[in-house]
Amino acid sequence: MKRNVVLGCLFLIVALLIPGQINAQYGNASKRKVSGIVTDTQGEALIGATVTLHSSNNKVIGTLTDMDGRYSISINSEFDKLEFSYIGFLSQTHVVGKNSSLNVTLHKNDQQLDEIVVTGYQTISRERATGAFAKVSADKLEQKRLSSLNSVLEGQIAGFNDGKLRGVTSMNGMTTPLYVIDGFPVESSRYTQYGSLEENIPDLNIEDIESITVLKDAAATSIYGARAANGVVVIITKKASKGKTNVSFSSTYTFSPYSYYMDNRTDAADIVELEKGWADNNPKLKVSANSSGYITDAAAITYATNYKKNAIFTSTGMQSILDYYSGNISQTDLNTTLGSLASKGYQYYKDVEKYAKRNPFYQQQNLRIGKTTDTNSFQSSVTYKNNQLEDKYSQNESVGINLANITDIYKWLKLELGSYTLYSNGTTQSYNALNPGFDYMPYNSLIGNDGNPYVSTMASRFSESTLNTIKSKGLYNMDLTPLDELGRNLTRSKNFSNRTYAKLNIKLADWLKYSVQFQYEYNTIRSNKLRNKESYDVRSLVNGFATYNSSTGTVAYNIPYGNVYFTENQFSNAYNFRQQLDFNKTFADKHDLTVIAGTEARRSKIEYSNNTLYNYDPEMLSFELVDAKMLSNLTGKLISGSYFYPSNMTYLKELTNSFLSIYGNAGYTYEGKYTATGSLRWDRSNLWGTDSKYQNKPIWSVGASWNVNKESFFNVSWVNMLKLRLSYGIGGNIAKLNAPYMTANYSQNTTVGGLQGNINSRPNPQLSWEKTTTTNIGADFSILQGRLNGSIEYYNKKGEDLLASTMGVPTEGWGYSTYKINNGGMRNRGVEVTLNGDIIRTKNFTWNASLLYGYNKNKVTYVNVKAPVYYLQLDYPDAYPVIGNSYTAIYGYRWAGLSSTGLPQVYDGAGNKVTHQPTTLDAITYCGSTVPVHAGSFGSSLSYKNLELSFLLIYNLGHKMRNKFLPALNNSYSSAINGYITDFAPVNKKINNRWKQAGDELKTNVPRVVYEYESDYSYDSYSMYSYSDINVINASNIRLNNVALSYKIPTEYCKIAHLSSARIQFNVENAYTWAANNDAKYQLGGYNSPNYVMGIYLNF
Amino acid sequence: MKKIIKNILYSLIIGLNITLNSCNGYLDDVPKGQKIPETLADFEALLRNEYNCHRVDITQANLLLNDRYPSSSNLNYYPLWKANYMWDEAADRVKLNNSDETTYYASYASISTCNLIIEHAPTATNTTENERNTLIAQARVLRAMNYFNLVNYYADTYEATTAATKLAVPVISSADINAPSKQVTIKELYDYILKELSESVPNLPEKPATILHPGLATAYAFYARVYLQMSDYTNALKYAEEALKLNNKLYDWVAYYESNKSQILNPISYTATSSPYNYTYVENYNYRHGSSNNASTETNIPVSRAERFEDGDARFAARWKVRTVGTDTYYAGTTNGYFNYGGLTTTEMYLIKAECLARKNDLTGSMDALNAVRKTRILPAKYQDLTATSITDAVKKIWRTKENELIFSIVPFADARRLNLDSNYARTFTKTVNGTTYTLSPTSHLWTMPFPMGAISNPGNGTITQNVDK
Repeated sequence: MKRNVVLGCLFLIVALLIPGQINAQYGNASKRKVSGIVTDTQGEALIGATVTLHSSNNKVIGTLTDMDGRYSISINSEFDKLEFSYIGFLSQTHVVGKNSSLNVTLHKNDQQLDEIVVTGYQTISRERATGAFAKVSADKLEQKRLSSLNSVLEGQIAGFNDGKLRGVTSMNGMTTPLYVIDGFPVESSRYTQYGSLEENIPDLNIEDIESITVLKDAAATSIYGARAANGVVVIITKKASKGKTNVSFSSTYTFSPYSYYMDNRTDAADIVELEKGWADNNPKLKVSANSSGYITDAAAITYATNYKKNAIFTSTGMQSILDYYSGNISQTDLNTTLGSLASKGYQYYKDVEKYAKRNPFYQQQNLRIGKTTDTNSFQSSVTYKNNQLEDKYSQNESVGINLANITDIYKWLKLELGSYTLYSNGTTQSYNALNPGFDYMPYNSLIGNDGNPYVSTMASRFSESTLNTIKSKGLYNMDLTPLDELGRNLTRSKNFSNRTYAKLNIKLADWLKYSVQFQYEYNTIRSNKLRNKESYDVRSLVNGFATYNSSTGTVAYNIPYGNVYFTENQFSNAYNFRQQLDFNKTFADKHDLTVIAGTEARRSKIEYSNNTLYNYDPEMLSFELVDAKMLSNLTGKLISGSYFYPSNMTYLKELTNSFLSIYGNAGYTYEGKYTATGSLRWDRSNLWGTDSKYQNKPIWSVGASWNVNKESFFNVSWVNMLKLRLSYGIGGNIAKLNAPYMTANYSQNTTVGGLQGNINSRPNPQLSWEKTTTTNIGADFSILQGRLNGSIEYYNKKGEDLLASTMGVPTEGWGYSTYKINNGGMRNRGVEVTLNGDIIRTKNFTWNASLLYGYNKNKVTYVNVKAPVYYLQLDYPDAYPVIGNSYTAIYGYRWAGLSSTGLPQVYDGAGNKVTHQPTTLDAITYCGSTVPVHAGSFGSSLSYKNLELSFLLIYNLGHKMRNKFLPALNNSYSSAINGYITDFAPVNKKINNRWKQAGDELKTNVPRVVYEYESDYSYDSYSMYSYSDINVINASNIRLNNVALSYKIPTEYCKIAHLSSARIQFNVENAYTWAANNDAKYQLGGYNSPNYVMGIYLNF
Repeated sequence: MKKIIKNILYSLIIGLNITLNSCNGYLDDVPKGQKIPETLADFEALLRNEYNCHRVDITQANLLLNDRYPSSSNLNYYPLWKANYMWDEAADRVKLNNSDETTYYASYASISTCNLIIEHAPTATNTTENERNTLIAQARVLRAMNYFNLVNYYADTYEATTAATKLAVPVISSADINAPSKQVTIKELYDYILKELSESVPNLPEKPATILHPGLATAYAFYARVYLQMSDYTNALKYAEEALKLNNKLYDWVAYYESNKSQILNPISYTATSSPYNYTYVENYNYRHGSSNNASTETNIPVSRAERFEDGDARFAARWKVRTVGTDTYYAGTTNGYFNYGGLTTTEMYLIKAECLARKNDLTGSMDALNAVRKTRILPAKYQDLTATSITDAVKKIWRTKENELIFSIVPFADARRLNLDSNYARTFTKTVNGTTYTLSPTSHLWTMPFPMGAISNPGNGTITQNVDK
């Protein structure tokens, strides 16, 4: 399937290209004049294009085109070809023949063939690069809504998938690439409320992006040192073009209809049937009603009353059924109630849509102003975003301001200053109507029969004993009104961040440059959540810590009733200082040498704190002190189940990272044909994990390239460019939280006092940086007058010394937990193909297509770990990788069909069919990888005059996922019954195809519903079924990621409005998903409704 | 221009120099929120970590004794629970014990912490020689306690005739990665425990820093427990009396009952009262948790188990109340808080003393010790002094009280295994469920628990052999 797609696309492009061949004429020539005009595809004259004379063994620069793009040149018979070249365009070579006039149209170099490569440390010509670089230019981004960096990059870079480049290369270190903006790495690590670090994509005004270069292999990334093993994304922002002031404005409005997919979900009737089944099959309830329709059997009544009293099942349907068997309502009443419930369809979801959700709406405006003169270039932009999210009270807005200026102070001294500032604030709703705090079923509603908001009463949820406690002790009411809760307890956050840099470039000589660069980053995030005293959350919290003093007969609320105010503060800063010497000289016209050398220092710091105040008065700013120590040890709570931890008062975190580096890089090119490069870098850091002899290990790379088309023997006229590349090198990676020493953390012991210690990690003296060796072989080409160009890469990324889990020995006190040492090995091999072609290129009509393909195969080559218990292998495959399998594996049992009584069966290690979960590892098989094997995109754009239609298809093929939405009832723990009971909840509608009678096992794989009182009820049926390989589903999918229709307003109209150009664009995002499997499509969000975007783009 | 170039080159060289030479200062920031333990206090704090050090889980022993009530659905959910609770000798418990059994893992985690302290305390800073020795001694006592629990769970009980040939559990004395361990014989393990105790006693304080730290009295009490298990009544008596010299207080459960009477006697209220059996319980020598270190509500017990308590037992009435939920009827726990199931208390010393005196045929002395405990438990209206007619009679009466008093600790299980060896006391459990009669014979293999599968499959630098076939 996937192979066909790829081949098909390739065929399509090649086939369509053939008719558009070039013309060439042959003949002998004597000395004479040839003249003509050189233009671009728009018919604009190219001024200063180079015309080079070619003979069989020589090349001589002939002339340059004039202000009108004209040239005129004398040639003798020795020279039979003319080459036309211009920066940013593809060179063309023409055989002169008998012509005295030769007009040439040069084509813009597209993404793969831009003349320069920006690494962040230097800008080199593409010709001399030996590494694997992929570039996306601004005009390619135009077709998409510029909402976030990730969405912009989607489908644009072969090998870049789901925020990761070339697969997962680390088991415990970072797996995300390094982001570099205008030469500086920007890391956006943040603490979560729970103390874990998360990596974020840096903020910037996306409209400012001029180009994005992704550095993939070691030759490209090794200059970034220990943090570059996952690739580097280098972003360059726009500079104003010379001439008049550049002003542009854009505005987009995105409408995203709220959608909650229900078609694969049990409806009210399905649930009622399952609930009825509980009573119908229950041996304790095999009784019939008396003549007036009431149950009179004492045993049944006792049983049912007890279930109701203890609130074991709280759904509306079950409550009615229990009411009937308790003798409270008649059979007719029950049937009426159940019939009415069953007729409700998807009532609850519809109410949620109607009362609790809205259609998300996003808007974004951007204004950009810039001006460039001979000695100064100024650029500024402002982006305003406003997002209304689907939760009614959730919204956020932000303003991003970007300023940059480059001044030539002297001819030899240039100063660049830049600053990006982002202000944002947002509100997040904390109550979710789809997780409302009571057992809802599709038949429930958010509005009661009386038209008032639905109230989930405490009587419907709590046992008699708890209700008695609440009432007799006078605790706060525990009724819950979902619609009242929606607007309560909102989290409000404010964010300010700034990045400012200064760069001083000193030209010491034409061939030597010295630069000093400094960047400071500053970021604060403040958020607060006022937990309203009216809210269920606060009532429940206060009740949970109430105790009763039997001698005085009073209730003590150990947490005072009142608003609870949670505030969170996060502050981070980072600076980066770099100085660098750039040497660039050509000797004897054919030896080109480029060398850079520099030092870099970087330090970043994150501080996090949160704080909770009780009985807070937002008017008076007053609050009440609570005795946290007493609360954390409080016993004899009237309602059990609440715990107080020190973090319920205050929580603090801090992290500082410092790096010092020395780096150098050299490239040598001979005659513009052969290039050799090498780079070397040492990093030292304050991280414990690297404070050892191992951190002196340099990170290095070597590379070579050959511009085949420049060879005189290479005379293939339809090949405009062909370059072969080879690189090899080592990249590092850091696991920030590991140490070579034994480390411990300490906290207050709240029961006996003093500090208590906890060992974090065992001593690990061999801890070092992870090493990833990459071999990359690549070719770049451009053929048929640049109408088809692209590149092909092969890579072998070998991870060694990866921090890998190693078996924790129970006897050594490390139980089933594992610890990490540098002994893991992993390999990622892959192929990447990028093709871009202009299928039709006429004045009014162009058709362009591009295809990206990435193949990635991951294999674990060494680990020393084995899951000690079977379920750990199933649940934590990344902690227990298996040699030979992919690291991103899914494991499962081999499905053996249903038993003759409808129970799920799998094969155990010995190959027997079993109905209980096998507990040995040999029963568990490898079911595939969660990372796509084949991934990429196919995009095409058609333009006719001012109208352009484009689309982008993104495909991910050959991977697996576990089906999480099963047609089976799970178990849930009931504290009342001290055990597991059948969990009535909306499940996959396929449950209607379940086994119902003998023989069904031949027709269905959906197990019978087994209620908790049955002898066949087994704790592991559900988990065994969920882990079986029939529930590991093919996740292959193709997504119509973006469709754009744009119209360029004709120049004459623009002029009226004093515009230089204007464009209106309509996009549909995530328009459609094709998936190999409907359950996979559901889990991938393939049934969600698309986003509709309307945008206008103006240039003044 | 030349000057500028010179200056720049100069500064670049200085820059490089700074990078190379002074990086140590720049890179010296150590991560916050954690540290490398160096001082003695850093190591001592490890002992205050109750989750790592002081959880004593003996779930399967409680189930085998039918001391703990598992709901019928839980029995279905956990086949290993069912095998032990229903005394199913046919069940292959080796195979069923496939989860990370806390009994094993938590005990060795505690041992590992003790090993770390024992290994690092001698070089720890900011301390005196005395403090060092005290901490080491405390860690050694704690480690020995863990081994005692392990050997009385995963190996056969101590019997002088077989102890030297039967295997116990792996002993490991270093916290290093890949440290060797050896599954020693039962005799070797008891010898090891006794040696650890005798070498630690001189360094133990009478008043340790916290109730989690073993003190001198703890060591004596533990000595008594170990010697009793070895049926060495002379030494057991000696150490029980030593322990009682340091603390012989008994908690007044009758008074507790009186002050919480309204709640205890309300038949529909299951609201919990605060458990006094916590860190500050006057009977404590030391404190260790049961399976959980969180405050919780006391475990439920079966009706048949409730029937074995004495009539008028205030401690029983304060802790459990009959409850029916669905089809299950049991005695629900009604106290909430912390329970010293894993530590040592004065009650146990009184009762060890009573048994040792009985074994020496001092029936009066024996019954005096027993009654001293009972007086604080049995409501005055129901209380009568117990007397014994023979050694066997005395031991049986002591056993009854001891089982009730120390329920959920390792003691009832260890006592049952010990007394089952003697035909005078050997006891067969029987029960009838849904018309089927189940029995647990005193010689059943069920009395020895299998090691969890994770331990067997990953023994580390040593070997582990199951002490029971299934």
